[in-house]
Amino acid sequence: METNILGFFIGGLFGAGLFLAGLADPDKIVGTLRLKDLHAMKTIAVFIIAGMAGVWFLEAAGVVHLGVKPAHIVSGLVGGAVLGIGFGITGYCPGTGLACAAAGRIDALVTVLGMFVGALAYILIYPYVLEPLDAIGNYGKVTLMDVTGIGRGVFVLVIVLSVTGILWFSSRKKPA
Amino acid sequence: MAGKTVRRSLLVWWAGGLFLGLVQIFAIGLKKPLGVSTQFVVLDTIAIKQVASEYVESHPVISKSKYQKLGYGFWLDVGIVAGAFLAAVLSGRFKIRFSSCWWEAKYGNAIGRRMLAGFFGGFLILLGSRIGHGCTSGQFMSGWAQLSLSAIPFTVALFGFGMLTAYLVYRGSKPEIEK
Repeated sequence: METNILGFFIGGLFGAGLFLAGLADPDKIVGTLRLKDLHAMKTIAVFIIAGMAGVWFLEAAGVVHLGVKPAHIVSGLVGGAVLGIGFGITGYCPGTGLACAAAGRIDALVTVLGMFVGALAYILIYPYVLEPLDAIGNYGKVTLMDVTGIGRGVFVLVIVLSVTGILWFSSRKKPA
Repeated sequence: MAGKTVRRSLLVWWAGGLFLGLVQIFAIGLKKPLGVSTQFVVLDTIAIKQVASEYVESHPVISKSKYQKLGYGFWLDVGIVAGAFLAAVLSGRFKIRFSSCWWEAKYGNAIGRRMLAGFFGGFLILLGSRIGHGCTSGQFMSGWAQLSLSAIPFTVALFGFGMLTAYLVYRGSKPEIEK
C-alpha cells in the first residue's frame, strides 16, 4: 500500500515535470528530432547528467536502488528502431503520451490507445519472435563499469563535465 | 498553410532538466529507476486473464506475477496522468487539441490523418519499447543514469530512426517557434 502511494507521488512529480519542462509537447520533440528547436535536447541532456550524478552520490551514500536491464544488443537495436519510428511520427513516447493526453491532447489519447494494442502485439509475438531475438547478443545485466573496469566516478565526471561544457558554450553566444 | 506558433516551454531547459533529474534521483533513492511502458502490458495481461487464463499461465513473460498485479509501477503511471493534468490546469495551459503545430504546418487541419498516424505511432511506440526492454524513460533516461550497457544500442537506434522518421514525416514543415 505504502509503495503504491510512493509510486503515485513520484509519478505525479514526473508527470508535472514532463509537462513543465516541455517534454510532454509533441512540437518540442519533433523540433528536436528535426534539429530546428533544441529545447528538448538540452532538457534531456540535463535530465540525464543530473540523474547520472545523483546515482553516483546515492551509491556513495549507500541508498541506491538500481535496476540495470540486461543488455540484449539485437533486441535493443530493433526495439529502439521501432519505438523511434513511432516517436518520430507522433512526437510522443509512453510517459509523455500519458502526460499529453492528461493535458487535453486528444491525438495523444488516441496514441495511448494504440499503445495498448502495441502491448498486445508484444504479448502475442513474444514466444515466436522475441524470445529467440533476446537470445542473440545477450550480455546480461552489465554496466559500462563492468565492461571497462573503469570506476563510475570517472565516467560520471567525464560525461557530466563535457555535456555541461557543450551546453554552456552553445547557450552562451545567443543573447536572447 | 501556416499552423499555430509553438509556445515556449514553462521552464527553461536547465531548470526543466534539473527538475526531472531530481525526480529520477528520488525514484532511485527510494524505490527504483523511472519506467513507464511495462504497465501497458500489465493492464493487457489482466484483461486477457479474464477470458483466457490458461494462455496467461503458459506465456513466458506474462505468467510472471509482476505482470498480473497493479503495484508501484501502475500507480506511477496514474501519477503521471494526475501530475501532468494538474500542472496543465494550474499553469493555464490545459487545452483540448487534436493535432500539433508541426503536423498542421505540413498537413493542415487533417485531423483524421493525425489520429490515424497517432494510433499507428502508439502501436509502434509500445511494441518497440517492450522489444527493447524499456522506453524513453526506462531504457534511455534510466539506462544512462545508471550507465547500463543496454542503453547504448537502444539510444543509437531510437534517435537514428526517430530523426529519419521525423525528416520523412515533417520535411518542409516550418511552424513559427516562440523563442
